[in-house]
Amino acid sequence: MAIFGLWVINKAGGLVYQRNFAEGLAQLTSNEHLVLAGTLHGIHAITSRLSPIGSSSGAHVIEAETFKMTILLTATGTKFVLITSIAEPSANTVLQKVYEAYADAVMKNPFHTPEMPIRTEGFDTRITALIGSGHT
Amino acid sequence: MTVYSLYIYDRHCNCVYYHDWHRTRRPKPANEGGGFLPGVARAVSPIPPASASNASTPYTSPRHTLSSSSGVLVAANDTQPQSAPPLLQTHAVTTPPPASYTSTGLPFDEESKLVYGVILSLRNMIKRLSGRDEQFVNYRTSAYKLHLYETVSGYRFVMLSDPNAESLRFVLRSIHTGPFLEYVVRNPLIEMDSRERGIDNEYFRASVDRLVRGLSIFN
Repeated sequence: MAIFGLWVINKAGGLVYQRNFAEGLAQLTSNEHLVLAGTLHGIHAITSRLSPIGSSSGAHVIEAETFKMTILLTATGTKFVLITSIAEPSANTVLQKVYEAYADAVMKNPFHTPEMPIRTEGFDTRITALIGSGHT
Repeated sequence: MTVYSLYIYDRHCNCVYYHDWHRTRRPKPANEGGGFLPGVARAVSPIPPASASNASTPYTSPRHTLSSSSGVLVAANDTQPQSAPPLLQTHAVTTPPPASYTSTGLPFDEESKLVYGVILSLRNMIKRLSGRDEQFVNYRTSAYKLHLYETVSGYRFVMLSDPNAESLRFVLRSIHTGPFLEYVVRNPLIEMDSRERGIDNEYFRASVDRLVRGLSIFN
């Protein structure tokens, strides 16, 4: 039961926010995070085309052996990705709250440029209050 | 709850087998020259069905088996009866013709490459993220769930199922240890790793079909 990390990916596939919480996964450089986020953006688009029955959304949950990635795609194309342990039940609720915090602290901030990296202190604070050190 | 399709890839990244069950949107037949191997699946093969029995089933024809074991070359493959062998006929009855489905608009060779690309990228991503040799297991969308099982010999078994299914790795594993070993690995007429043709043969197909239809999740 741990939350390892949070990504926010803009509609073009660029990583605009990345934060680590609990230990347990590899420590990557910010460049590696950028590459992985771009890959995820591409995979997400392809997964919606592979549906065997009618239309499909992109991937919601991607599971590995010890962790999973839960993806929330908003109507505007921004993706919130939460990397948690497999048994974490609250991933979707946390993502919804992150989206709320994003709307309040980032989108309402007149000094924030849309689609650019998020450097808003208010968002950081809200996320810390929400997820803390990553142990729920 | 159901199972939609099964893809098997070899270590040369080629799709060597394809089987589908409850798909309502099927791919178009593969393009000629799209890198699609013969002997993967009749339903999506680019050759028209009438001549397909000549080209794609040398392993399933009893006559061919006889001729190769006796050392007599029967060059006249076209004298072979056009009707499918009994096992294939039962299979043809259980699988409705592709015409009753709407198409995904993607030819099969492109679809199989997309599936392979997705699992390859996800595998790499999971390895990088975890920092150890961790496997990608499955992903889920609103319409389907994709499961991956990888063997030590480099074969990758991919299954698409209902999104609410539990992990189906055990099924893929039992396809590998059961029908795959019995009718592909131990079949002297199947050239594995040939890069030129798939591993489709009627016993393997019938046995996979039985195994999947017997699952509690299938209906």
